[in-house]
Amino acid sequence: MRLKRIAAVARFEFLAVVKRWSYLLATFGLPLFLAAVSGTVLGVQTYFLTQRAEESSAFGLVDEAGVVDGSVFEDREGARVWINEGSEVVLYRDQETATRDLESGRLRALYVVHEDYLQSGEVRAIQSEKTPLLSMRGTTVEPLLRSLLRKSLLDGRLDEDVQKRIISPAVFVRARLGPEGAEVSDFDEALDLLMRTTIPLFLGVLLLTALLSASGYLVQTVATDKESKIVEVLLSSVTPEEILAGKLFGLGAAGLVQFAAWTSMVIFVALSASAALATMVTVPWLALAISPVLFVLGYLFLGSLMLATAALGANAAESQKLTMGWAMLAILPLMVLVILLEDPNGALGQVMTWIPFTSPLTVIIRLSVEPSGVAWWEIGGAIAVLAISTWLSIRIGARLFRVGFLLTGSRPSLAELWRQAR
Amino acid sequence: MPDTLSSVGILEYCGVHKRFGQHTALEDVSLEVVPGEVFGLLGPNGAGKTTLIRIGLDILRADEGTVSLFGAPPSHASLDRTAYLPEERGVYRRAKVRELLAYLGKLKGLRRTTAAKAADHWLERVGLSRVADHRVESLSKGMTQKVQIAACLMTDPELCVLDEPFSGLDPVNVALVTDLIEERRTLGRTTVLSTHMMHQVEALCDRVALVHQGRLVVYGQLDEIRRRYSPNQVIVWTEMDLGALGVNATQHRTGGWRVELPASETAAGYLHELVRHGVLVDRYEPLVARMDEIFVSLVSEGP
Repeated sequence: MRLKRIAAVARFEFLAVVKRWSYLLATFGLPLFLAAVSGTVLGVQTYFLTQRAEESSAFGLVDEAGVVDGSVFEDREGARVWINEGSEVVLYRDQETATRDLESGRLRALYVVHEDYLQSGEVRAIQSEKTPLLSMRGTTVEPLLRSLLRKSLLDGRLDEDVQKRIISPAVFVRARLGPEGAEVSDFDEALDLLMRTTIPLFLGVLLLTALLSASGYLVQTVATDKESKIVEVLLSSVTPEEILAGKLFGLGAAGLVQFAAWTSMVIFVALSASAALATMVTVPWLALAISPVLFVLGYLFLGSLMLATAALGANAAESQKLTMGWAMLAILPLMVLVILLEDPNGALGQVMTWIPFTSPLTVIIRLSVEPSGVAWWEIGGAIAVLAISTWLSIRIGARLFRVGFLLTGSRPSLAELWRQAR
Repeated sequence: MPDTLSSVGILEYCGVHKRFGQHTALEDVSLEVVPGEVFGLLGPNGAGKTTLIRIGLDILRADEGTVSLFGAPPSHASLDRTAYLPEERGVYRRAKVRELLAYLGKLKGLRRTTAAKAADHWLERVGLSRVADHRVESLSKGMTQKVQIAACLMTDPELCVLDEPFSGLDPVNVALVTDLIEERRTLGRTTVLSTHMMHQVEALCDRVALVHQGRLVVYGQLDEIRRRYSPNQVIVWTEMDLGALGVNATQHRTGGWRVELPASETAAGYLHELVRHGVLVDRYEPLVARMDEIFVSLVSEGP
């Protein structure tokens, strides 16, 4: 094979793709668009919640049973008010006044401790028609009222510290083992779970999308060559193997640029989240570092198979159908994502690490979720298997590509493929 | 006119067979194209011409027989000395004209700057400089055709295979392409011309081969073939009434007398006889068969 010819094909194919509006939009516009959309959505939600919060945060309480400990309430502007964790609870002597305040919008909700509370435990929560949906459940007032009622019931009957433990039996202090086995505490479990699943998922989807996008360009370019009848002109100058290699490298470079742009966005988001939330967010540096290698090998492997099968199609639609099988195999890790996230280093994750179709995505997910559970030889082995498979797929792909590329206008039979590929 | 007997063939086929499934596309075809000539490759649609060309340029492989290009089996180096304009025209329609030409030049081994210069030069030669930066899809069919001819000629190939180069061209551009082919002959370059336009074959070709149903039915010097398939007749222009002189003659549409010669008589010998018998001959012309007549006659007969 002549490297200069391969370079000429690669350059032409690269420029043909990167000059397209669709490519520029997908590569650079999509991240900006997603950032703009998510920023707008978050902004609108924050504004909406802030506005709501400013409207009224007062709740009414009527104690028909006479069990509530009134000592926590303070006198304020002629009313008995208890302020705790941003919520304001106003104690009313009678329900009539409280209902009026609820109707007027001064109260978000009214809680009435029923007169037979001690027997039934009933506390009626009343909303007005003006009260926004979720306004009661979305606040912390109900847990506060529960605590207040517990305290009121226990007051004077038990030691103070026992009372406290009954009111709040356990204060969980979360911790987990970090990469070096050291215990790390003081982190938000929900946020940690979010970051530990979102980033691998995001990175995996990006890798897969970039792989399939670059492979899609390959299918498209072969179909274009066949449909535009330029195949013979090309073949009178360069060999099918040189065309295959040129297309693989040129469109792979375009795919790599796309992947790099998208990955930069992931890193940016991860770093921003880490800084902004001032909490321990695990940026999967190893997964990020190894992702270009996995992308290149995964792309060359999948791309050469896709090019070869696409060349067997008579037109773009047929080529697309023929290559769908490869794409489905590559998507497999996403189909079992829940298992991979839950048990990244389990049997399934380990097996899929060694299958060239699934290894790029599986390794990325495993390294992102639980890097300490992936042995170095697993990474090395996966890359080696992928490299060998890539070499084989290029060899076989080139033969099929030659046959498919030459037989323009119709799809060859299996017998014809076998005869020509020998 | 090239010396067909002593020259080494630039492109040689020897006993070539090619089958596609049950269909025999070529059967025992042997011929050679010699340096400096314009070689006509003729035949009806589906005769096997394109398959023959593809095998010669190593796009397809023969099932049997051998092919040599520049005296050896086709190789990267020898293919770089050739160019091909396929009958099924192919271009990247979204590419710009200059970029497309430069790309095709680079695929033939030209350096980037040389390819760019050659692209500009040949766009000027075919009168398309003004559309150099236009996309191919914006060009007319004839202009696109000229872009492809320019792409073929821009590397100054020693062997150029043109499959139906005149289709879709207006008379002005037909003349332009004819001149370009003539110029190649003057420069000693070889051209294989596959066309159904028989008057172009008569005007341009030195030698021809006619393929029908995969077999070579006629092959040789154009003039010799035309003579071989010509009737043994002459047209005599004279003021005298040849009929009255007892000659087996009929009036020809051109005003002369059409005379059917005996099988043993030659045109030169008959002219000598006429003069010897005192016939005042104003003009004398042996009737030579036209290529379209030969084509129709051979194709109708079958191989």
